[in-house]
Amino acid sequence: MADLTLLTPELTLVGTGLAVLLIGLFLSTKAKKILGYLASLGILASLVLVVMSLGTEGVLFNDTLSFDALSQFFKIVFLSVALLVSIASIKYTEGNSHTEEFYSLMIFATAGMMFVASANDLMVLFVAFELASLATYALAGFEKKNPASLEASMKYFMIGSLSAALMLFGISFIYGATGTTSIPGIAENISLLLGSPMGLLSVVLMIAGLGFKIALVPFHMWAPDTYQGSPSVVSSLLAAGSKKMGFVAAFKVFMIALVALQAEWTTAFAILAVITMTLGNVVALSQTSVKRMLAYSSVAQAGYITMAFVVMSKTALAGAILYALSHGFMKAGAFIATAAVTYMVLSEKKDAEMPDHIDNFRGLGKRMPVTALCMTIFLFALAGIPLTAGYMSKFVLFASTIEAGLVWLAVIAILNSAISLFYYARVVKYMYFLPSDGVKIAEPKPYTFAMVIAAIFVLAIGFWSEPFIYWAMEAAKVLI
Amino acid sequence: MAIPILSSIVLIPLLFAVLTIFTKTREQARASALLSSVLVLVLTLFMYFNFDSTTTEMQFQELAQWVPSLGIHYQLGIDGISMPLVLLNAIVIPFLILFTWNDNKQQANKFYALILATQGAVIGVFLALDFFLFYVFWELTLVPLFFMVSMWGGPAKHKASIKFFIYTHVGSLVMLLGIFALYFAAWKQTGTPNMGIEHLLSQFQFIGDSLSRDLIFVALLFGFLVKIPSFPFHSWLPDAYVEAPTAGSVLFVLLKIGGYGLFRVTLPLLPFTPSMNLMITIMALLGSVSVLYGAFLALAQKDLKRMVAYSSISHMGYVTLGAAGLVSLSVSGAMFQQFSHGLIMSIMFMACGVINNATGTRIINDLGGLARKMPKLAVIMMVAFMASLGLPGLTGFIAEFLVLTFTYINQPTYVIIAILAIIITAAYHLWAMQRAMFGVYNEKFGALKDISASKTFSMAVLAILILYFGLHPSPVLDMMITNSEKLVSLMAVAGV
Repeated sequence: MADLTLLTPELTLVGTGLAVLLIGLFLSTKAKKILGYLASLGILASLVLVVMSLGTEGVLFNDTLSFDALSQFFKIVFLSVALLVSIASIKYTEGNSHTEEFYSLMIFATAGMMFVASANDLMVLFVAFELASLATYALAGFEKKNPASLEASMKYFMIGSLSAALMLFGISFIYGATGTTSIPGIAENISLLLGSPMGLLSVVLMIAGLGFKIALVPFHMWAPDTYQGSPSVVSSLLAAGSKKMGFVAAFKVFMIALVALQAEWTTAFAILAVITMTLGNVVALSQTSVKRMLAYSSVAQAGYITMAFVVMSKTALAGAILYALSHGFMKAGAFIATAAVTYMVLSEKKDAEMPDHIDNFRGLGKRMPVTALCMTIFLFALAGIPLTAGYMSKFVLFASTIEAGLVWLAVIAILNSAISLFYYARVVKYMYFLPSDGVKIAEPKPYTFAMVIAAIFVLAIGFWSEPFIYWAMEAAKVLI
Repeated sequence: MAIPILSSIVLIPLLFAVLTIFTKTREQARASALLSSVLVLVLTLFMYFNFDSTTTEMQFQELAQWVPSLGIHYQLGIDGISMPLVLLNAIVIPFLILFTWNDNKQQANKFYALILATQGAVIGVFLALDFFLFYVFWELTLVPLFFMVSMWGGPAKHKASIKFFIYTHVGSLVMLLGIFALYFAAWKQTGTPNMGIEHLLSQFQFIGDSLSRDLIFVALLFGFLVKIPSFPFHSWLPDAYVEAPTAGSVLFVLLKIGGYGLFRVTLPLLPFTPSMNLMITIMALLGSVSVLYGAFLALAQKDLKRMVAYSSISHMGYVTLGAAGLVSLSVSGAMFQQFSHGLIMSIMFMACGVINNATGTRIINDLGGLARKMPKLAVIMMVAFMASLGLPGLTGFIAEFLVLTFTYINQPTYVIIAILAIIITAAYHLWAMQRAMFGVYNEKFGALKDISASKTFSMAVLAILILYFGLHPSPVLDMMITNSEKLVSLMAVAGV
C-alpha cells in the first residue's frame, strides 16, 4: 500500500482548512481574527514539510499522483503565495463575519493547486484543477455588496467553466484515442494520436483550455476585469498562484503526455508567447488603475514563461520554473502593496472610486514608506532590474532562447522587457517624486509583514540564486 | 591581501548610498557622502601606489563562487586599462561633493545617495571580471542617473531622462544578447558554463560559425558605442547632459564604461572576427565622424552647457578612432583621452553650473565680461577650455596628439577627417570663452560674486591635475601603454 507520508503536506493543509471552517462556527466576529493566524500557521507548516521533502520521490494511488522535484517546486510556489496572501488577509478580513469561509476557500484552492502539481493522470489533474478553480470563483466574489467584485467573479466563473469544458473535451479525445488518462501512459501510446486529426484537435482544445487559466492572449479577456474587480488579496492569489497552476498543468500535458506532438504545438505556443507578451506590455502602458496594470503585466509575464514551450531545453524549463517562483513573490507582493494602498484610501474616504488609481500612489514614499519601498522592489523585479528575482529568472529564460538559436524570440522578449520598464517605473515615479497632500499613516502590520517577506525572497532569489536555480534545474529534469 | 580592497571600493559607496538615504539633514547627508568618497580615494591611492604598471596581469584579484550551476563568479580585478578610470572616479567624486557642499539641494539625502550609488556601480563595471557581474553593474549605473536627471534636472528633465534610459537600455540589452550568445557558444565548446570575461574572450576564436562570431561582435560593439556615445547613437547625450543638474552632468562624464568596453572586450575580440577589416573601418569611420560632426554641432550651439555637451561627443570620437588605430600608442592615446576628458569635462560642467546659478542664463550671447566679476572662475575655466581644445602642456593635447599621430599609420583617411575638426574645436572654444567671459560686462547681472571657496578649491584641484598630467602623463600613461601593447600584439597574431 502506498506510503501516505508523502501526502503529509497536503493533509496538513486540508486539515487546517477544515479546522478553520469548524472553529469559525463557534467564534464571534471579533474573535475570528485568530483564524487568520491559524490558517497562516497551517500553510507555513505545510510549506516547511514540502521544503523538507525536497529530493524525495514517490508515487501514490496507482501512479495517479507523483511526487518529484517538479511537483515539490510548484507546491513551494503555491504555498509561499498562499502564505503571503493569508498573512495579508488577516487585515483584509478584519471584522468580517465570513472570515472562516475566506480562509477555508483559500486553503482549499491551494490544496487543489498542489494536487495539480502532483497529478500524474488527466482525470486527477482535472478534478484538482476544478477544486482550485471553484474555490477561487467564490473568492473573487467575496465582496458580495461590491458590484465590481461580483462582475469579476461572474466573468471568471463563466470563462473558467468554458475553459474547463474545453479542457475536458480535449481530454476525452486523448482518452478516446489512447485508451488511457495516465500521463505517462498517453506518452507511451501517443502513436495512436500521431497523424490523426484527433491529435490536432486535442492539442488545440488543451491549449485553449489551459490558455484561459494562464491568460494567454487571446484567452486573456477575463483577467484584467477579474484581477481589477476582485479584492486585491484574491487577485494576488489568482495572478501569483492560480496562473502557475495552469503552467504546471500545461507542462505536464504538453511536455510529458503530448511531447510527441511537439511539431503541432511549438509553433502555436511561439505565436501565443509573442502576442501575449507584446499585447500585455503595450496595453499595460496606458492603464491608470494599478491593479489593471498589474493584471496586464501578469499577462505579459505569462508570455515570457510560455517561451519555455518554444525553446524546449533544460535551461529554458529551469528558467520558466524559476520564473514561476519569482513571479509568485513579485506579483503577490505587488498586489498586496496595492491592497495596502486601497486600504489607506478607503479608510480616508469610504466610497472612493477606483481606490487603486495611480494618483493614490502619489507621495507614497512619505505616506507609507515601507509599502513604497517594497512596491519599488517588486516593480523593479518585475521589470527585470539586476539583483532581483525577476532579473535572475529572465536571465536564465532569455539566455536559453539564445542557446537554442532562437535569436528573434530573444530580441522580442528583450524589447518587451524594455517596454515594461516604463509602466513599472511610472508607479515608482508617482510614489517618490510626485507630491501629495496626504499625511503619513500607520501601515497595517499584516500587509507590511507579508510584503517584507515577499521582498526578502525577491532579493534573496536575485542575490543568492544558487539553491533556487539548482532546484529549478532538478524540476526541469523531470520534464525533459 | 588582508582587506579585499577592490570589493571595498565598490561596496563602500553602495553601502554609504543606502546609509545616506536615511540621514535626516543636508549636513549629515553631505558629510556621509564625503566620508565615503574620501575612503574610496584613500583606498584607490593606496592601490595605485602598490600597482605594478609593467604587467598586464590582473592585480588585487578576488574570486568567489556565486551561482556555480551557471558558472557565475564574483570576480574582481584591476589592470592598466581599468586603473586610470577607477582613479579618475575616485579623484573626481570627493571634489564633486565638495563642489556641491553649500548648494541648497532639495532632498539632499537622495541626491548624495545617488552620487554614491553611481560611483559604486561605475567602479564595479571597471573591476568586474565576470560578464554577469559586469552586466549587473552596467545596468546599475542606469538607475541612479535616471533618477538624478528626472528629479533635479532642468525644464525638459522628463523627456531627457526617458530618452537617456531607453537609448542606453536598448543598447545594453543588445549587448546582453551578445553576452548570452558568447556564453552559450563557449559552454558548448568546453562543456561547462563559465561567465568569466577572460574565459569567454579566449573562447571566442573557437566558435565555428563565422556568422555568429560577427553577430556577437556587433552586438557587443553596439552596446558600447551607444554608451560612449558615438555618432549616430549620440542623440541621447545632449539632452541628458544638459538637463541633468551639474553633479549629474559630471557623473555622466565619469561614466566611461562604453569606452572601457571597447578596450576590455571589443579589441581582444577584433582579431578573431571574420569581417575584421570591415569592423575596423566602421569604428574608425564612426570615430572620425563623431569628432567632426560633434565639433560642428558644438559650434552651432547658443547654450554654453549644450555646447560643452556636444564637444563631449567630439572628444569621445577620439576614443573610438584611437581604438580603431590599432597601434599601441594610438590605443593608449584613446585610453588617455578617456581619463583626460573626464577631468576636463568635470570642470567645464561645473563652470556651466556656476554661471547658470549666478546669472540665471547659459545663453552665450546673453553673458559677457563675467571675468571681471568672477576672475577665479575665469582662470579655472580657461585651463579647462584650453585643455579641451588641445593646448600643449595640458592633458587634452597628449591624448589627441597620440590618437591622431599614431592612428595615421593604419587609418590615414579617417585621421584627415578628424583633423578637420581641430580648427573648429578651437573656434567654438575660443569664441564661447570670448563672448561669455570677456568683452563688455552685461550690466543687468548687477554685482556678481565670484565662486565660493569650496567651489574654487574643488575646481582648482582638478585644473591642477589637468596641468600635472599634461606635463607628466607617465603615471597613468605607462600602464596604458603596457596594456595596449598586449592588445595590439593580439592583432599581430591575426596578421594585421
